[in-house]
Amino acid sequence: MKFHWFNLMPWPYLPDDFAEKHRSVWVDVDSRLFDPVKANRVYNDYLDLLEYAGDLGFDGLGINEHHQNAYGLMPSPQLMASTLARRTRDASIMLLGQSIALYDPPTRVAEEMAMIDCISGGRLIAGFPVGTSMDDNYACGANPALLREKYYEAHDLIRRAWSDPDVFTWSGQHYQLRYVNLWPRPIQNPPPIWIPGGGSLETWDFCAKHDYNYSYLSFTGYIRGAQLMEGFWKRMEQLGREFNPYQAAFAQQIVVAETDAEAQRLYEKHVRYFFSRCLHVYPGYADAPGYRTEATLRAGLGTQVAGQGSALNAAAQLSWQEMIDQGFIVAGSPDSVAEQMEKVARTLRLGHIVCLLHIGDMPNELCKASTDLFASKVIPQLRSVWGEYEDRWSPKPMPREDRAIPRDVSFSATDAAAPRQEVA
Amino acid sequence: MKLDTITVGTKQITVPYYRAGQGEPLLYLHHFMGVVGWEPALARLAEHFDVIAPFAPGWGAAKDELTKMNVGPLDLTLHNQDVLAALGVDSAHVVGVGIGAWLAAELAAIAPACVRRLVLVNPVGIYLEDAMGADPFAQSPAAPTEVLFSDPALRQKYLLDGRELVDALVEELLDLRAAAKFLWPIMETQVRTRLPRIKAPTLVATSERDAIVPAAHGPEWARHIDGARQAEIKGAGHLAELERPDEFARLVHDFIVADSVAAVA
Repeated sequence: MKFHWFNLMPWPYLPDDFAEKHRSVWVDVDSRLFDPVKANRVYNDYLDLLEYAGDLGFDGLGINEHHQNAYGLMPSPQLMASTLARRTRDASIMLLGQSIALYDPPTRVAEEMAMIDCISGGRLIAGFPVGTSMDDNYACGANPALLREKYYEAHDLIRRAWSDPDVFTWSGQHYQLRYVNLWPRPIQNPPPIWIPGGGSLETWDFCAKHDYNYSYLSFTGYIRGAQLMEGFWKRMEQLGREFNPYQAAFAQQIVVAETDAEAQRLYEKHVRYFFSRCLHVYPGYADAPGYRTEATLRAGLGTQVAGQGSALNAAAQLSWQEMIDQGFIVAGSPDSVAEQMEKVARTLRLGHIVCLLHIGDMPNELCKASTDLFASKVIPQLRSVWGEYEDRWSPKPMPREDRAIPRDVSFSATDAAAPRQEVA
Repeated sequence: MKLDTITVGTKQITVPYYRAGQGEPLLYLHHFMGVVGWEPALARLAEHFDVIAPFAPGWGAAKDELTKMNVGPLDLTLHNQDVLAALGVDSAHVVGVGIGAWLAAELAAIAPACVRRLVLVNPVGIYLEDAMGADPFAQSPAAPTEVLFSDPALRQKYLLDGRELVDALVEELLDLRAAAKFLWPIMETQVRTRLPRIKAPTLVATSERDAIVPAAHGPEWARHIDGARQAEIKGAGHLAELERPDEFARLVHDFIVADSVAAVA
């Protein structure tokens, strides 16, 4: 099994009364709550954590794209990926992902990802999500009626740009380019492509058609995710795909401490910060008219009207034990986490787990402690799960010994003066 | 009233439409929510006119025609010309509400020979920084059209009563999808640059309680149309003809037949 360390990069200074005083954490979140001077430390702390996870042997380092969002401070995942490419050695750069339909021309995405793949020695995972309605439609102004058409066309253009060695002309419905001629080009041809998405049938069919990894990135946990993943695997079977657990990835929030009680004592507050503040999204931004197809809409409304709907922040009202019992979080001692994680992997049949080990306003030292325990005491118990399958969705980097080694820099030696302060 | 269907234009667009009444032809171009059955306002107008009320591509039973229309005013305007031609109508009085008023104005500007007299009610399509109104495309998914009414409770009466909830909701969201395609992300269509081409005598009316087209839009539209007159529909929300069918029909009738505009409808 593969374990990836993912950081959403939440703003850790949302006030206690945020949910009462503010309409939404996303799109029209009050920018006065952002402090660029504090952000200097926030970004560097978060990047430190990602690099640290790389040192511990996590398989991939995950970053993503959000706009006008106080729980996701990465409008450009490429910027994060490029610094990780230089400052980490072995882990995959899991760029999960870039909303390709937002960029005109989309060859810009092909160029930047090629740069990252070259700098990292072929460690890039290229995530191509459609993107959320909040990001694409409301924050970036993309027309919901055209978003999916543009997405598919951008995908085709990027793939061709990566693979066609000749100058070519692109005459599409949404993009026209007289001269496409990518410089640079990726080491991997192409990098493994992962599709983060919700539960739409079109996305699953797209993954099947192109042999892409499907990544279900939700915050509602493995119990609610089980039904959806079952749908995914059933669809793969219908389409005649041979089962391989590495074709799927799933995000799970996790905290580990020495004991179950210690996990609650240390981490509950930060988990609550995430569920009640970070997921406080105005419902009017969840789903621009036309963002979802009619079939997906009808299926979703059916369950909502039947009272099974769950708001993004449904977990905010639950007790700690209920959050665990309902799978929103996997929490506890290393053994109890390993037991829960095996359930995650086996019931959802996952080869890749995207571990959300930084949650809400968790300070770095606490996050490192949980990450340490996960790496040293949980991963070894689970490593061999799915060992009989070949992972065809991880990067194939250059041989380690052939990769360039960045110049050694040691800031701590020269700038020891400034004492470290952790976020929050 | 029976919903008929014709197929028009080079893109072979299916057009469901109502047609009833005697007199001069009157083309009614609907708002965000399509034609809501054979509406009382249309029945009143059919006492005086040959009323033609088509669904635009993307709305109601024509939902799947949306992909055939490019964004911008041209495809929809050529389509409306095609509809009139296919029904054997050379020219008509044209009455539009909301997005329909925008398209009525485009038709009068781009194909002036088609339009006799023009009535624009709560027209969308001009961005006014000081009078933006509510965003019709960022509403709660459970009640996406309450904002279109003077009283949110009226949504139940006009759009949900007597219908299966999921079907009604899906139709609301699909109708909004169609409108959003042409008006995303803000309702600015550059129609201002074309309004001065309008030759038809024009009435611009706004509803007193329209949350998405504030009353300040009336004078702004009228300012760009030579000789345009103005009126206000008291008490109504954006979907004026649903909420105030009698006042709406009287306003339209009096302007077209008698060239008169009551100070306040």
